[in-house]
Amino acid sequence: MKRLLIALAATTCLTAPALADDDRIVVGFATAETGFMQAYDKPAQDAAMIRIKEINDAGGLLGKQIEVVNADTKTDRAEGAKAGLSVIDAGADMVVVSCDYDFGSPAALAAESSGLVSFFLCAESIKAGIQGVGPNSFSASVLAAVQGATMAEWAYTKKEARSFYRLLDTWTEYNKGICDGFDWMLPQLADASLVGEDTFLNEDASIAAQITRIKSLPEEPDAIMLCTMMPGAVSAIKQIRAAGINSMILNGSGVDGSYWLSAVPDLSNFFVPVQGSIYGDDPNPEVTAFNAKYKDATGGDPSTQYVYPGYVMIDVWAKAVERAGTTETSAVVAELEKMSGEPTLFGPRTFTSEIHHQNQARYLIVETDAGKPGVVDEWTISKPIPVADLMK
Amino acid sequence: MGSLLQIVFDALSLGSLYALGALGIALIFGVMRLVNFAHGDVIAACVFALLWPSVDAVAIVFAGNLPWFLLIPFVLAVGAGLSVLSELVVFRRFRRANPATMMIASFGLGFVIRYFLLMLFSSRPKSISLLPTLSQPVEILGARIPLLQLITILVTVAVLFGLTAFLRRTRFGLEMRAAAENFTMARMLGVRANRVIMGAFALSGALAAAIALILGSQTGTANIMMGANVMLMAFIATVIGGMGSLAGAVLAGFLLGTVATVMQVILPPDARAFRDAFVYGAVILVLIFRPQGLLSARGTKERV
Repeated sequence: MKRLLIALAATTCLTAPALADDDRIVVGFATAETGFMQAYDKPAQDAAMIRIKEINDAGGLLGKQIEVVNADTKTDRAEGAKAGLSVIDAGADMVVVSCDYDFGSPAALAAESSGLVSFFLCAESIKAGIQGVGPNSFSASVLAAVQGATMAEWAYTKKEARSFYRLLDTWTEYNKGICDGFDWMLPQLADASLVGEDTFLNEDASIAAQITRIKSLPEEPDAIMLCTMMPGAVSAIKQIRAAGINSMILNGSGVDGSYWLSAVPDLSNFFVPVQGSIYGDDPNPEVTAFNAKYKDATGGDPSTQYVYPGYVMIDVWAKAVERAGTTETSAVVAELEKMSGEPTLFGPRTFTSEIHHQNQARYLIVETDAGKPGVVDEWTISKPIPVADLMK
Repeated sequence: MGSLLQIVFDALSLGSLYALGALGIALIFGVMRLVNFAHGDVIAACVFALLWPSVDAVAIVFAGNLPWFLLIPFVLAVGAGLSVLSELVVFRRFRRANPATMMIASFGLGFVIRYFLLMLFSSRPKSISLLPTLSQPVEILGARIPLLQLITILVTVAVLFGLTAFLRRTRFGLEMRAAAENFTMARMLGVRANRVIMGAFALSGALAAAIALILGSQTGTANIMMGANVMLMAFIATVIGGMGSLAGAVLAGFLLGTVATVMQVILPPDARAFRDAFVYGAVILVLIFRPQGLLSARGTKERV
């Protein structure tokens, strides 16, 4: 796999920059190969490479092999812009940028100003797309708000949760996004109520004061909507359970994975929405087959569901190129915007001229019971979250 | 009553953490006027010492599997050892440098430790189950509090009594207090400077290790940045406590923990996100009225 990457990179580096070269289709990865974003970018990029290899093995795209060029953003915004320009100079037809809006947008803006399609690997902010970059920018993941809304509606319908508590970690936009979706959904659920709310910071050494507030409620809430991400999430969950609060805990996809469960032994009543299951129990057997392929290519199982958007990204882009018959930006964007419920391994995907992100998506619900995570259900929110509410 | 008691425990346990950190910084400042910004990274290194180096998502627990009666001395020894090593390798060469130079050197050392951990373990936070038996609630006078909170408070009180006894009752403690008060004079009177400084570093490192144990079992996470927040709060505590004053550092540590907890309780939900701004605002107020700190050490006053 690595050798393939190097070979591809070497061949494309040797060829002179040729933007209008019709014999090649080039995907440029302006992503983090070093720094803390690498832990998020690398797995999704590996999944993207698997889809590229599948397409190439099946004869390529428009009869041509997809080539890959890479540039390291070094988890730095200024380096990100440079990395974007460098893959564009190397002839990229499509630019893949970092997982996060803040770190991916410099390269995405570089692609936008060169009139190229850009895809965020797994950014979950509404800004990662038309609203924050421009009309040729897309994200391969699902909005954070959909995760919060999904958990609220699912817990209400399937678990009969009526009293909710909202605990927000104000560190990132992603966290706020989850709670925004929850806030949008909650008033639509008859006789569901918010019995309390609080905030904390991801780096807080202790959230004892926040926990005391939950405990001083007359009754333990049915569900706690926890809008946070790693590493603070583990600390918060551990402290909530250590204080003897047994309410069901609802989360965003950011806490998916079993790698951290050792920190909270025998965790139960804990729910996470995921695009696909890394636990080998996905209702779609092709996802399990993909997990095996991923293991072959990288030497390890996917550690979280954030591997999957990379695969979806190449999948939908290649379909749009195939249908447009060209890699020319406006034709590809037009084809992408025609996708409505386009089937992928990880659920249907829709893009419109208003939003290049998923404001409604099918999620699998993973329950962790006695320290063992597994898929227990799936849920699609009853209606998409309006763009106006996402922009608040 | 129960919830008031709960808030008192919350404040005391957070304050304990800050007090232990502030004490570690004040000890070294007392003997050599060094603000050791590498202290936070020593905390992180102590937690990572429990893991086997790997960049995988799943932590490979190594020393962390030891039974508690071996684990605790091991971590304390790692902290003390690392701290003494930093004195031997780095700070000994800055004896005659001015405090600002030493402070920059400590920043540098902190980065070296942090990037060394980054190299061995990657930036991905690791999860560990450290002393899991402490993660259960206990009932005290109608308040259900996590056992770890109680232990944190008890350990801090024990450390404070132990340290006080050490400084007052032993020859080494006497030398250390003499050095803190007037280092040059103490040397002239036969205090062996290097030994005292080394002792201060060892104690400070062991205190960092104690924080590492508490943070590690509280959060279940090893993260290369995990010491930064406590370090900042501890540094602020040493400043408002009065630089060089051990009692002041402890007092201010508890005060900061209390203010942070009380702010979280009394602020309206919309303002809670800005809790730290209120805490730091309180710090500025204290410094306006007592620029020398709450309890200023005698050795640090300007003599005109």
